[in-house]
Amino acid sequence: MQTPTFASVQTGFEFEPVIQSYAQGAIDRYALGSLDMNPVHTNTDWAARAQVFGLPETVGHGMMTMSTMTSVVTRAWGVIGRDGARLRRVESKFTKPVKVGELVTARGKVKSKHHHGPGRNWVLVVVEAQDTSGDLVGVSEIHYQLPD
Amino acid sequence: MPIPERLHQYVSTDKQQHFPKDFLSDWQHYETWDQATVGQSGPAQRVFEITAEDIIAYNVACGETDPLMIDPERAAKLSPTGEVLQHPIFVTAIAFYSLGESGIGTWIRTPGARNPHQDIEVFEPFRYGERITTTVTTHDKFMQRGKPYLQMKLDFHNESNVLKARWYCSLILPASQDDVARFANA
Repeated sequence: MQTPTFASVQTGFEFEPVIQSYAQGAIDRYALGSLDMNPVHTNTDWAARAQVFGLPETVGHGMMTMSTMTSVVTRAWGVIGRDGARLRRVESKFTKPVKVGELVTARGKVKSKHHHGPGRNWVLVVVEAQDTSGDLVGVSEIHYQLPD
Repeated sequence: MPIPERLHQYVSTDKQQHFPKDFLSDWQHYETWDQATVGQSGPAQRVFEITAEDIIAYNVACGETDPLMIDPERAAKLSPTGEVLQHPIFVTAIAFYSLGESGIGTWIRTPGARNPHQDIEVFEPFRYGERITTTVTTHDKFMQRGKPYLQMKLDFHNESNVLKARWYCSLILPASQDDVARFANA
């Protein structure tokens, strides 16, 4: 893992994609890890009856999709670094439920560089997540502070 | 309605063991969109004491394999904090644990809720042993394209009153208790 400097990063830089399974076991593990035990994610019988999203099956957590999108940046640059690098903010919108069994692919790109002064400069990374059929399931804007 | 038996194989922390996991059992006590008042504020029910196992459980659930995020011994030697590093969205676990089952902000547990967007700011890493208090403020309540949206601001402070993270948490909710009942009793 190598965190770049603010000066060396170019807009348009593309991160390695993150691919995450949304099989029921992965959703179950996320439910316990996050303590979001809403039955729409874990209870297949209830989900079939309630059809919260008009679907007779469970769906992945939006927060799991947010996490997958965030991991695009943190797996490349780290959650925090010894040199002041750190993720500051994540804003995510969810555009389509992720059905159980999907494979989500998240891709990110540096959109802009924000010159706030030494020790405070940061870049905006836009991450998009798609399901197995290529439909957009989420978009995130991630603020990441980089060393000078 | 008990949670599915298969979920027990994934329980790996003390909090997961004791957390009220059946969101369908106490739904009558959850705050609803109808009941929420913008500007109302208060502390969440529970204090969340940060442990390595909580952080690791979240990181593993996100598919992380970096030793600095899942291996306390490697993290002690190599991570910038000397502790396992948490995924930035780890505040989700703090929020669900802390908000509890009745009172302000418990609409986060609502059966039938949908997740439109979220906004999380991280100011400092959480550290082992910190006791995190969550302050809940109902921030916005609106109808958009016929759907009831509710947003709360969650501020996460440690015992020294240092603000560690902030989450603007939004959901589209069944508006009334009758609407929630239709999902809860499905």
